[in-house]
Amino acid sequence: MSLADLPLHDMQRAASLDALCGIVAERHARGEATVLLAGGTDWVVEQELKPPRGDADPRPLVVDVSCMAELRGITATRGLLRIGAAATYLEIRRHPTVIERAPMLAAMARELGAIQIQARGTLGGNLATASPAADGVAALAAYDASIVVKSVRGERRIPFSALQTGYKQSTRAPDEVIVAVEIALPPEGSPWLWRKVGTRRAQAISKVALAGIAVRSEDRVVRLGLGMASVAPITATLLQTRALVLSRPLSAITADALDAAVLSDIAPIDDVRSTREYRKHAAKAVVRGFLRDLGAPV
Amino acid sequence: MKITLTLNGLSREVDLPPLVRLLDALRGPLGLPGTKEGCGEGECGSCTVLLDGEPVNACLVSIGQCEGRAVTTVEGLSAPHLGPLARCFVDHGGAQCGICTPGMLISAEALLARRPDPSDEEIREAIAGNLCRCTGYQRIVDSIREAARERREAGGAA
Repeated sequence: MSLADLPLHDMQRAASLDALCGIVAERHARGEATVLLAGGTDWVVEQELKPPRGDADPRPLVVDVSCMAELRGITATRGLLRIGAAATYLEIRRHPTVIERAPMLAAMARELGAIQIQARGTLGGNLATASPAADGVAALAAYDASIVVKSVRGERRIPFSALQTGYKQSTRAPDEVIVAVEIALPPEGSPWLWRKVGTRRAQAISKVALAGIAVRSEDRVVRLGLGMASVAPITATLLQTRALVLSRPLSAITADALDAAVLSDIAPIDDVRSTREYRKHAAKAVVRGFLRDLGAPV
Repeated sequence: MKITLTLNGLSREVDLPPLVRLLDALRGPLGLPGTKEGCGEGECGSCTVLLDGEPVNACLVSIGQCEGRAVTTVEGLSAPHLGPLARCFVDHGGAQCGICTPGMLISAEALLARRPDPSDEEIREAIAGNLCRCTGYQRIVDSIREAARERREAGGAA
């Protein structure tokens, strides 16, 4: 389907989340695709790259979820931040609780796209598109967030560590709707970093982006979350790097050991935005920067 | 599909396939060609309009998604005459070839509605999604700063 085919599509809204799950399930059972459209910042652009639709090609149904109340809203209760899948990045960066208790998430949302994209883009959309270059998903990786999904079979939570299985592949079933993300809030004042390396500050897809959140106790990091965009087929969670940092006092972490751990955690490629070698260099540099902020001699 | 939206303060109904881009609906059947198409893929900001008060790229919004919502285009800022914000762009050299100007005006309007006294950095952030190939941006920043000052002096009415 090309852009010219867009008017051929049907679009509807669902009366409720349950009704939406029903539509998706019924169509999936018949082998028909359903597109859940939120901000359209990926999907609409993708249509431009596709060849015109043949008469015999299946026509996906588009369901507009951008205004669905059950997928929106940002709430915090008992240390758990819940962000609706269709809440926009603009809503995220302006939300007082996010600014106060999840400042890294607010910083990420502020640097994602430009305001026009922030006003439309959503975490749910980035999770569904499942690009390893998505800034928002890197932030969720660092928070070790849970993804709340729902289908006619019920609701479940997918831990971030169990979400991604390969390039744009995930453990979410085709009939599961992304409802929200949940973040267990770190203690107030926890050190964090959002560092995006791109061509310019706005409207740049990251060459490398690092999301970091740490809990420190004297000379040790006792909890560490890391997420890195654009350095592997999936959002990198930098498990070797996390293990290294947690295994010894900050003062005993060396730059060489840290660099080696980072390189073992990533598998960057050459593409239109950057090169494999530059991404390796930048990945090491941004992780060193975060650890230096935390007090490691790197 | 019949879609009812509030367009520049007036209730309008259009009957269009729901995935027609808001940009095409505005420039075609809705008769408002002030919104320009630049890149058509959400990069350049030429087609910026306000959707419920927030700036969005009209090339990425489907008309069906506008059901029940309020859209403001550049015509809504100035009709029937040049508004004070646009006048500042004229006076301070903020417009040259003009393709980016409607989008710049909308992004500036969205900023000034929230921040009556923005810093230059806030102005630059607000227009970071609007590409201009003529001015080098400084004159646009000057225009918006001046519009903010005039608006404050007029008690927010300008």
